[in-house]
Amino acid sequence: METVKLQVFRYDPEKDAAPYYKEYEVPVEGTLLNALLYIKDNLDPTLAFRAFCRSEVCGSCSMKVNGKTKLACKTPMKELVETWKGKPLRIDPLSHMNVIKDLVVDIDKPIEKMKTLIPWLVPDPRVVPTDPMHESIIYPEEMKAYRDQIHCMLCFSCYSACEAVEDNSRYRGPFAFSRAYRFQVDRRDIETAKEKRIRYAISGGLWSCVQCQKCLYVCPKGVKPAEDIQNLRGQSVKKGFTDKPGARKLKHFVDWIYATGQINRLYLPEEVYGNKEAREKLTKAYQEMGVEVWEVPKPTKGLMKFRDIYLEILSKENKALELDFSHVRKIDKMVSDIFKADICTIVDRAHERGESAKGLIGKLKELLGGK
Amino acid sequence: MIKIGFYQGCCFQGQDAHMFETMKETFKKLDVELELLEETTCCGGNTIDEENRKLSYAINARNIALAEARGLDMLVSCNTCYMVIAKAKRALDTDEELREEINNLLREEGLEYKGTSRIYHLLDFFRDAVGYEKIRKAVKRPLKGWKVAAYYGCHVLYPKEIAIDNSDNPSSLQEILKALGAEVIDDYEHKDACCGYHSFFTDKSMTLKKLNRILGSVKKMGADIVATPCPLCFKSFDIYQLNMEKPPMVPSSFLPELMAYAFGIDKETSGLAHHLVKVEKD
Ligand code: SF4
Ligand code: SF4
Ligand code: FES
Repeated sequence: METVKLQVFRYDPEKDAAPYYKEYEVPVEGTLLNALLYIKDNLDPTLAFRAFCRSEVCGSCSMKVNGKTKLACKTPMKELVETWKGKPLRIDPLSHMNVIKDLVVDIDKPIEKMKTLIPWLVPDPRVVPTDPMHESIIYPEEMKAYRDQIHCMLCFSCYSACEAVEDNSRYRGPFAFSRAYRFQVDRRDIETAKEKRIRYAISGGLWSCVQCQKCLYVCPKGVKPAEDIQNLRGQSVKKGFTDKPGARKLKHFVDWIYATGQINRLYLPEEVYGNKEAREKLTKAYQEMGVEVWEVPKPTKGLMKFRDIYLEILSKENKALELDFSHVRKIDKMVSDIFKADICTIVDRAHERGESAKGLIGKLKELLGGK
Repeated sequence: MIKIGFYQGCCFQGQDAHMFETMKETFKKLDVELELLEETTCCGGNTIDEENRKLSYAINARNIALAEARGLDMLVSCNTCYMVIAKAKRALDTDEELREEINNLLREEGLEYKGTSRIYHLLDFFRDAVGYEKIRKAVKRPLKGWKVAAYYGCHVLYPKEIAIDNSDNPSSLQEILKALGAEVIDDYEHKDACCGYHSFFTDKSMTLKKLNRILGSVKKMGADIVATPCPLCFKSFDIYQLNMEKPPMVPSSFLPELMAYAFGIDKETSGLAHHLVKVEKD
């Protein structure tokens, strides 16, 4: 029978001075949970871990294998052995929570954090009948908006893997934002609660998520917290919480991409922080290194059609920000000044531009303040 | 000779225009011709999704359609662009209604998203289309004695649907570095931490904490340089590192720069000479 070594984290805070690893040899069969049960039944009954349903429902058996968060009852031993090429598998408890014993962690903290985001329905009396004899109907179409989110089983895999939790203890956690979002798009939930949730989400680190996508990767239920966080950010901007660096960054993207097909990294710090200096410093730093800097907003061929597509989508969809046309006109003017032609002519002649672009560098440095 | 459509994003134009020239030279040595897809636009940087996800899908349907119109696969040399475009492709390939709706808009420009082009990132392009052996053969100046820390970055490994390697235990980057003759370091403590690039504007202290952990653990292993296949991770390492109170001054590189150098292109042209944290090794 094929076997593999598990090095399992052991720690009993009441007895042990420090955590240690204990090695067990287990069959490469079934799931990681089977392997742990094998240890408990045959090798060492003192090992503590949580598990209940054995079928990816209860969410209690999350842990880490060689640093990667896994749901034990969903993870085949074969797959682990293949991934790690037969090397020993180090089994650790989830991160960001205190260890109660061995692989069992204290989930109170993430639960408390989640509660700050009002993860429940606050019924709107105009939609939800107060008379219990009347049904409160939800249509299948509506449910699509939160079809995935409701599958969260609070396994805390995402909380353990989260890059924002790691470096910002205030951060509420991926699953918590997904829960919040689930009610934000529920028609039965009252507007005042939605407003509050956004406020609490912002103070709970909404803009701190780094979008690493690890929460999507580790979630055994197909919840996509990083995407819900993007949706919540959009909602926050739409509700008028625009005085945030993240919101200003979004505005930069929306306006510049429409105007030129690109963002403009020289202007980004200025538009996010009002920091002109950064632009000047960057330009200067590059010059000193002898690198020609020119962050010319370079309108691409087909830009006018691209703008049409852009506007068409924005006009149909529920958008966060309105395109700021006065900003767009300013960008257009800057581009026209640089290329000495109006934007349509520039786009038409885009193909001729390639080689001559370098000649513009001197001019651009002047214009962009790099003198 | 392989011909592939090159998606430039923001990292290969403007202040980084030289990088595209270097890439062209480097790829030529591997018998690969990069055809610039110059009508493409910014992928939305995973930020436009906050405004409206469908807008992000539409922009990238257009980007992909531009490669398809030329009958080319598309190479995306930035982790985030790759993730955003690959996610859009997945959405378009699995949701017929979405595809139809967006194609109706694209048609005005004479474009159509068909789903026929493969989207490559550098790592799977080198592995699947070029082959490690070819890289090995192109090396003129092996990186002998270079201790190089392999750093993937998040958006080529997560989420699973778009991952280009085994997300838990990837190997493509190490293989490429080995082919260049380098000594690979891939067991440093924080190799899997996020580089923090995307939070620099929204939570700067988080970026700096991450850089501290990653570069600190790289330094502990005695690496000469970090190599990453993502131009954004590279910027975080090379530029944002200097925002730290006590920068560990760990040099870093965008993978193609190291390849260029190993293929015999000089330090100046490869870009290695222009880093803020100097690359002393040669
Ligand atoms: S994408 Fe955001 S929420 Fe998800 S794991 Fe990364 S930092 Fe956490
Ligand atoms: S979102 Fe997914 S990973 Fe996170 S707690 Fe819920 S089920 Fe677990
Ligand atoms: S035991 Fe219930 S989810 Fe694994």
